[in-house]
Amino acid sequence: MNKELEHRFVTELENNQNIVHKVCTLYTNDQDSHKDLFQEITIQLWKAYPKFRGDSKFSTWMYRVALNTAITLYRKSKRRIKTQDYESVIFKIKADEYDETEEQQLKLMYKAVKQLGDIDKALIFLYLEDKNYSEISDTLGITEVNARVKMNRIKTKLRTILNP
Amino acid sequence: MMDELELLKKDWQKKEAHLPQLSYNDIYTMIWKKSHSIVKWIVIISVLEFTLPHLLYLLPGTADSLAIYEKLGVKNLSMTLWVIGYGITFYFIFLFYKRYKEISILDSAKDLMKKIIRTRRTVKYYVIYSLSFLLLTCLILFVGMYLNNDLVAVFKTDANDMNISPEKFRSIMLWTMAIFSVLIVLFMGGIYFLLYGLLLRKLNRNYKELKRLEI
Repeated sequence: MNKELEHRFVTELENNQNIVHKVCTLYTNDQDSHKDLFQEITIQLWKAYPKFRGDSKFSTWMYRVALNTAITLYRKSKRRIKTQDYESVIFKIKADEYDETEEQQLKLMYKAVKQLGDIDKALIFLYLEDKNYSEISDTLGITEVNARVKMNRIKTKLRTILNP
Repeated sequence: MMDELELLKKDWQKKEAHLPQLSYNDIYTMIWKKSHSIVKWIVIISVLEFTLPHLLYLLPGTADSLAIYEKLGVKNLSMTLWVIGYGITFYFIFLFYKRYKEISILDSAKDLMKKIIRTRRTVKYYVIYSLSFLLLTCLILFVGMYLNNDLVAVFKTDANDMNISPEKFRSIMLWTMAIFSVLIVLFMGGIYFLLYGLLLRKLNRNYKELKRLEI
């Protein structure tokens, strides 16, 4: 395959890899699975790359492929037995950065997000990434109204998890 | 609650600096690795489902069974059915390929799921069709055996050697045929539904969740 294409793709992905890492953090529970999912997303991105025409930003395009892989295409390989929950960087709270109540609140919030279903996670993820409802509805294939309704339901769900 | 989500959002964006970082070479090696996506699994299983039953005909002994069909007087009927059967199989393969090609990771999550489910449904109909076909073939054989008065001659068995009367041989053969037909269809159907049930559990759950939003 075209060397120049390979180089361009790897460089773009290297620069935008945070998006993929964040998706992996949200959808996996241990480091091995994180790596596994990262790899699958990379393969899917690479396979679809020739169709990327550059009329949208590479990062925007990545959100869709990464989420589609995590929600739909990816199957946990059975070889990996769930060992222990690892605390990835994103879910670790640094004590010195926050006052105690805030820190406690965040910890609980992250834990609650991890307990959501695949679709709910996707919505929360796009919300946390500051995507607007039009983009969220477009990525998931639902109407904007339904995206808002769903988001409100997730908020209620989070509230129930936080205050049982 | 709103404040908590805003707090989470701020924190989430701050965390970016602490994410793991892969090097250019790490990523470069990854793009050549094999995918383990469910679409790939569906293709592998489907190809097996399309080819395996037909490989059976290549086994030695098939010629013998053709002779049996002839003696039972159902050869022409079976042959006609086979030709029609192959035609239908090729149509299914064509349909499967067309639908598989339509699957694109660049679709929205819902469309992607819809297309995968549709592709899988093609295989499902194919399996239902081929199991019915198998049952029909068995039925023809059964009727042929039932209407034939000299089964011992058909199966070239010397019933005397086994110390059983031709009538007994006949009833044993008919029962064996009936039980065997039902068992093999149940067995193959069971494997199929178990395999896809496990493979697509997650996908079906997520698709239902998205569909539920529309109501």
